[in-house]
Amino acid sequence: MADRLFAWLMLGCAVLVVASLLWVLSDVLIEGFAHFSWSFLITEPVDAGRSGGIGPILISTLWILLIALAAALPLGLGVAIWLSEFAPRNSRFAVHTGITLDILAGVPSIVYGLFGNAFFSIYLGMGFSLLSGGLTLACMILPIFVRTCESGLRAVSDDWRKGALALGMTRSSAIWHILLPAARPAIVAGMVLGIGRATAETAALLFTSGYVDRMPESLLDSGRALAVHIYDLSMNVTGGDGAAYASALVLVVLIISLNTLAQSLVDNWFKRRLVVS
Amino acid sequence: MHLLSKMLILLSIMTALPLAHAAEDRLTLTGSSTVAPLAAEFAKRYESQHPGVRIDVQMGGSSRGINDARMGLADIGMVSRALKPTEQDLTAFVIAMDGIGIILHKSNAVGELSDTQVIDIYTGKIRNWQQVGGVDLPITVVNKAEGRSTLELFLHHFDLKNSQIKAQVVIGDNQQGIKTVSGNRGAIGYVSIGTAEYEEARGTPIKLLPMASQAATVEAIAKGHYPLSRQLNLVVKGIPVGLAENFITFAQSAAVKDLVEAQFFVAP
Repeated sequence: MADRLFAWLMLGCAVLVVASLLWVLSDVLIEGFAHFSWSFLITEPVDAGRSGGIGPILISTLWILLIALAAALPLGLGVAIWLSEFAPRNSRFAVHTGITLDILAGVPSIVYGLFGNAFFSIYLGMGFSLLSGGLTLACMILPIFVRTCESGLRAVSDDWRKGALALGMTRSSAIWHILLPAARPAIVAGMVLGIGRATAETAALLFTSGYVDRMPESLLDSGRALAVHIYDLSMNVTGGDGAAYASALVLVVLIISLNTLAQSLVDNWFKRRLVVS
Repeated sequence: MHLLSKMLILLSIMTALPLAHAAEDRLTLTGSSTVAPLAAEFAKRYESQHPGVRIDVQMGGSSRGINDARMGLADIGMVSRALKPTEQDLTAFVIAMDGIGIILHKSNAVGELSDTQVIDIYTGKIRNWQQVGGVDLPITVVNKAEGRSTLELFLHHFDLKNSQIKAQVVIGDNQQGIKTVSGNRGAIGYVSIGTAEYEEARGTPIKLLPMASQAATVEAIAKGHYPLSRQLNLVVKGIPVGLAENFITFAQSAAVKDLVEAQFFVAP
């Protein structure tokens, strides 16, 4: 009886989570579609964003994301490989690196925003720019990405490493051809977490990539990200709720499609690697 | 090799970019989140009339506007209040007026509050609507966060200190204030009148209270009768020159009056 009750209780938890998620999503979908049209995606915002579209904002968002991923992914993968494959067990440097990453992963995004503003915008002289926003986001997603990839690599059975050694493979080619493809699900998970966090970020971007909603002409131009636009419309602009919901709808669809794209890219890339080798 | 050449191209583009910027036709504004959407609209119209000019508007609050204008980080600061005596190194230009009104939930039976009653509510001496002629419902006091000029203006008008206020909810922007009060039958808050008027007309369940027997309307602010109003200013260090001067003249001209009204403010 108690066992049955327990099972029901757990089912209840699952239903509750799914239901609340569906509620949020349907709210965004219903309210968002009321204001959405295809021209909304390409036109410039008019009247502080109440009418018009989000064309330049969408472009700025994609640029910021591209910069963040281009900076964070190779670096993060490198750190993860070093931590799991090369760092001597129990070396103090490796342990401290791990602890630092865990602390950094928990730092609130506004702190990254202030750091990005002080370091990239002012100290390095990038000003309010897509570049400084993207690099700030890169710093922000790096810790999570490294930790996820590292645990994925560690989870690969040691038999595979020994097998590769026995076949006379060098360490680097074992990592490249065997360990990384084996850790693929973790790498995808890290990317998905990073993309999600970066695309939905507001606080870190307000003071780095800024508020300008013009079409960016270079990476050193200021550009408003989608999340900043939603924040401004719902908190600052009287009567901006409709456009805010439509932008939120675009943001949700964007995150879902980027995640799907990331997944298929990583899958393809590693599949080819396995076949070729 | 392919990747390397791509990286090289990217690198050369990135190093060439700074050259593309000539400082002559660029203007940066930072500051008040209340002024930012208005200034951004001004900037867009100015840019469309003067091709080649770029005006970047950034947010961050009035204190930041003051600071950035002083340090030279921005050409023009945006400040949603009059300058203080300690800020006389800056020159202010009024571009619009905004009034602050007290709002309650629409279902609240209370139709007017005296200044003393407002003070007693905000300092926690009155805790139930029954004490000011309403129904038996605890009062939820909604206050603004530190650093907001609406807060400074409110405190100044009622001669209060922020430490005396016993608030249940602390909020940032106007819209957030309206959302909080419209979702709580016992709430009292204060927000920009233009915003509140618009939301009230749209059917959001809030109502504006008159202040010192002056109805809280955009019209009353324009006439100068309403006691709790503030200036929206552009500030510069010293005297504005060149593009900054032109833009400020434009922002004060009749050519942007419709933009001021579209953002629910009052043209000066």
